[in-house]
Amino acid sequence: MIRMLLRVLGPEYARAMRRTVALMTVTAIAEGLSYALLVPVLRELFGDTPSNAVPWLIGFGAGVAVCAVLRYMSELSGFRVGTTLLRGMYYRLGDHLARLPIGWYGRDRVGEVSVMASRGLLQAMSVAAHLLGPFVSAMVTPLTIVAVMIAFNWQLGLAALLGAPIVALIQIWTARSIASTDAARHERDKEASGRVIEYLQAQPVLRVGGRTGERFTLLDNALKEVQRAARRTVLSALPGIVGMTLTVQAIFTALLVLGAYLVLGGTIGAAEILTILVLAARCAEPLLSLSEMGGKLRAARAQLARLDTVLRTEPLPEPGRPVEPRHHDLRFESVTFRRGDRTVLDDLSLTVPEGQRLAVVGPSGAGKSTLLQVLARFFDVDAGAVRIGGVDVREISTQELMRRIAIVFQDVYLFDGTIEENVRLGRPDADDAEVRAAATAARLDEVIERLPGGWEAKVGEGGALLSGGERQRVAIARALLKDAPIVLLDEVTSALDPLNEAAVHEGIERLMAGRTVVMVTHRMRTVKSADRVVFLDGGRIVEEGSHDELLRRGGRYADFWAISMAPVTSE
Amino acid sequence: MNAIDPAEGERATSSAAEAAAGQGVKPLLRPHRWSFAAVVVLQIIGALAGLAPLLAVVELGRALLSPGPVDHDHVWFVVIAGAVGLFVRLVFTSASSGIGHLVDNHVQLAFRRQLALGLGRAPIGWFSRRRTGELTKVVQEDVSAVHPFIAHTPGELVAAFVVPLASLIYLFTVDWRLTLITLIPVVLAIAHVPLMMTPARIREEKEFDASLGVIANSVVEFVQGIAVVKSFGGGERAHRRFRTAVDDFVGTFLRWVTNLSPIAAGMKLVLSPPFVLLVVLIGGTLLITSGSMAPADLLPFLLLGLGLTAPVAALGHGFDDMRAAARAVGRIKEVLDVKPLPEPARPVAPQGHRVELRDVRFAYEGDHEVLRGIDLVLEPGTVTAIVGPSGSGKSTLVRLLPRFFDPTHGSVLLGGVDLREIDSRELYRKVSFVFQDVRLLRASVTDNIALAVPHADPDDVVRAARLANIHDRILELPRGYDTVIGEEAELSGGEAQRIALARALLADAPVLVLDEATAFADPQTEWAVRQALTTLGGDRTILVIAHRLETIADADTVVVLEGGEIVEHGSPAELLARDGRFAEFWRSHRSAVADEIETRAGVLQGEQSQ
Repeated sequence: MIRMLLRVLGPEYARAMRRTVALMTVTAIAEGLSYALLVPVLRELFGDTPSNAVPWLIGFGAGVAVCAVLRYMSELSGFRVGTTLLRGMYYRLGDHLARLPIGWYGRDRVGEVSVMASRGLLQAMSVAAHLLGPFVSAMVTPLTIVAVMIAFNWQLGLAALLGAPIVALIQIWTARSIASTDAARHERDKEASGRVIEYLQAQPVLRVGGRTGERFTLLDNALKEVQRAARRTVLSALPGIVGMTLTVQAIFTALLVLGAYLVLGGTIGAAEILTILVLAARCAEPLLSLSEMGGKLRAARAQLARLDTVLRTEPLPEPGRPVEPRHHDLRFESVTFRRGDRTVLDDLSLTVPEGQRLAVVGPSGAGKSTLLQVLARFFDVDAGAVRIGGVDVREISTQELMRRIAIVFQDVYLFDGTIEENVRLGRPDADDAEVRAAATAARLDEVIERLPGGWEAKVGEGGALLSGGERQRVAIARALLKDAPIVLLDEVTSALDPLNEAAVHEGIERLMAGRTVVMVTHRMRTVKSADRVVFLDGGRIVEEGSHDELLRRGGRYADFWAISMAPVTSE
Repeated sequence: MNAIDPAEGERATSSAAEAAAGQGVKPLLRPHRWSFAAVVVLQIIGALAGLAPLLAVVELGRALLSPGPVDHDHVWFVVIAGAVGLFVRLVFTSASSGIGHLVDNHVQLAFRRQLALGLGRAPIGWFSRRRTGELTKVVQEDVSAVHPFIAHTPGELVAAFVVPLASLIYLFTVDWRLTLITLIPVVLAIAHVPLMMTPARIREEKEFDASLGVIANSVVEFVQGIAVVKSFGGGERAHRRFRTAVDDFVGTFLRWVTNLSPIAAGMKLVLSPPFVLLVVLIGGTLLITSGSMAPADLLPFLLLGLGLTAPVAALGHGFDDMRAAARAVGRIKEVLDVKPLPEPARPVAPQGHRVELRDVRFAYEGDHEVLRGIDLVLEPGTVTAIVGPSGSGKSTLVRLLPRFFDPTHGSVLLGGVDLREIDSRELYRKVSFVFQDVRLLRASVTDNIALAVPHADPDDVVRAARLANIHDRILELPRGYDTVIGEEAELSGGEAQRIALARALLADAPVLVLDEATAFADPQTEWAVRQALTTLGGDRTILVIAHRLETIADADTVVVLEGGEIVEHGSPAELLARDGRFAEFWRSHRSAVADEIETRAGVLQGEQSQ
């Protein structure tokens, strides 16, 4: 646990962490030692001249004061370290997320990462601020007390010490058995969350079939599985908690019996035995709180493990000596790319001369979008190379690569800000005239006119307040403003209504002018504007040529279009 | 079909559910009240028994410190009594905690089921204003957060008060003066509480919550927009925003903690065992040296006195969890309290399937109307095409037919009956729809297609799949129609939309509502949609948001929607002749179509030349 914490923290914070732990340990030992002074105090109080206790009592008071100061210091240090850590960890996570390849960000990552980065991180870091102190003192103080007991009476002290390994064993054993059921439970929780999301998103359809609530067995089964897994966790934790309590109580009972035996035999004085029993009672409580703390530590640990996994994911390597491409012709050399065990691009080679347009057409799952993604280095290829102006994209620095490429996707993501802010993202230092010009060229000006607030209109989270076509126009304006020599278009006009399509099309034409373009599309109108077409299937180029050539050839490409022309059969 | 229950028996469960929904959380807890009582009683017995060993030490002390010979039998009796007390404590507290956790387990399942039921009845429109993630969090995390409320609070909180109370009474009988002195740390601790609740502290806590929210949002933005972030200059902006959020958050946190930590440390100090012992010892020494208390009487205070601080500690300790739980319960209640679209008390069966909209107005929120007085009749056996710019209310209009929302004014009639008078099952039998936002279930292909027709004949499923042009693709899947989508195979957007189309075709409802944007996923889907529109015809009432000009040309009626109002309405030929909005629209886009048609002609020529 601590090792993982230190690894997640990284070397610069690990030292502060170690210092804090050391301070907490010292505090706990001091507290245990201060109890040693109780022995003379009580011996005098229970003896013939109680007033002799006063100097010892003053000593104890001083001890308590020292403990208080130490405790305050270690607590403050815990908070300080916790807060610095928190900031450091947030930064570290943020930097890391920014460096991870876009390919890493799948659909379900968004939720996972945002939970991790807000509450998850806080929970993991609370180990330092809130849990570590009590945990250390619950372990160390009883041990110190046992040492004190041994000093005053070795028989009783030894009897208490016998408990230590048992307590440790039970702690370890419980942690293990719970860890396995916890993992199972986490799995079930994830499964159920997936089902809940599905249930929510499929509501309209589910209602048609009357599948709501318990009628929707897929969800209900998942919920029942969660319940079963949770019950197993409870049951697997129970023996540990009971065992812990049993051990601690057995030791106390043993001390009670042994003490009674020794005192009746006259080997030990009444005051000593009573003091030792008071000390023993002091030991029991923190030990019992250990198992309760275990639960919280486990939760934090699980978060920490998730954080650890993310931080250990390797970002794409940056070139040691970045090369700047001089030209912008594109070349795929025997590129193979796999996702899991599926080969998405299979030994694919193609070239696009500078300033030309290539259209990529093919059935779903042919690898069209992936082709664009490896070109923009969202992923690195498994074999072969992607070159821009003859330079391998892996030799170009990410910043330089991104400066040369403008991408417009089918789904446009806008930031929660004004339209102007979103357009300006294309080139932050552009002047107002340039921004306006790009907007007009993308026919965004019509949209702006219509919106209340115009340029200052907020677009909502992800651009939700604009329609699909309107978001496309923002994206095109952004790309125009960026003025990158390479333009990648992914199914840009696929889902637009005729009105929007015409507008977007116009913007796209302006964007493509004079640039090197690769576009994935199945709108014939867009395809026709390309210099060349490749037809992709199963990650390979099946046919290649100009649109008219391919049509005349009457192969796969012609078939592909033919279906949309095929007369519909009536039943 | 095994994966999904048939819909029979729905009525019986739903009426019970209706009773439970709306009343929030209490009815879900009621069946467990005896278990809760058992948890509390067992915990109290166990906790009180836990005092026995401490009292045994006290008695031992009295026996040993009393002048004269020690009574051996008495000593052994005391020791045994202490051991028995420990054993009782172990058994009872374990039982209490075990029962508490099992009840919690059941309650959580009941909560989740009730939430599922409630969500399954909330108006579909209600979902459009919520984020899926938020609602998922309610069902999953918020229900889990209730855990301390149910599994820990009843037992532990009660014990935290009963035991100190019993100790206090006992200590008073021993020596009232020292008891008062022992209470000094408790009083000091309580004196700290108001310091933690000052307006400044509360404001800081609120700021903390708020800045944590900002972090979450900026992360979502960061992650969701990562492609944009990366392709525009290394993501400086979002990254910076995230960092600013972090700095703000850490600043707030630090301020809060710095202001709070001296108070918290003070409180912890006065409650710490060494401090309490010190206070007791000082008081004890004073009383013993002055001769007004027997030394043996000090023992119970050393042993039991520490326990007096338990309630304060328990309050502080459990407070955060409890407040988190209370907030979670609030969110759960909010979802459970959502009113479902009212079901008719006396459902009326629609006669035929003529659809009529009478002066329909609709606003999602406040008085910003999306539909402003729609009058429209859809005759059986006709296709009605809706055209209009984005934001004109097309999507909202078509969603009124399957009753995703009720109109805020006016009414939608099916077969002469207001949709609000029709039983929802009956309505769904009559109206099927294919919208763009298709969501497939992680279930077999067959289950996905037969969602609306639980006992569908496999042949019918295949026929629907063929019609939707997805049959061949399904056969290519690892286990054909039994393939579990999302586990064994992924489908592309277009393929998913064809499955949705097959679903609607199998449902074979007399009214079909279709968003033609669906067709643009790929040529195969486009073909499937065209096929569906042509084949289905017959006596059906079809309403389509038209995207393709051919569809518009072939429609019986065209409705031009603008700003939530019908600006033109008639057959395509009529509208062209009228030379209004539609004609303008038609002309401005014919060039685009001409383009397309020309190309397609090329395709056909290519075909023919073969």
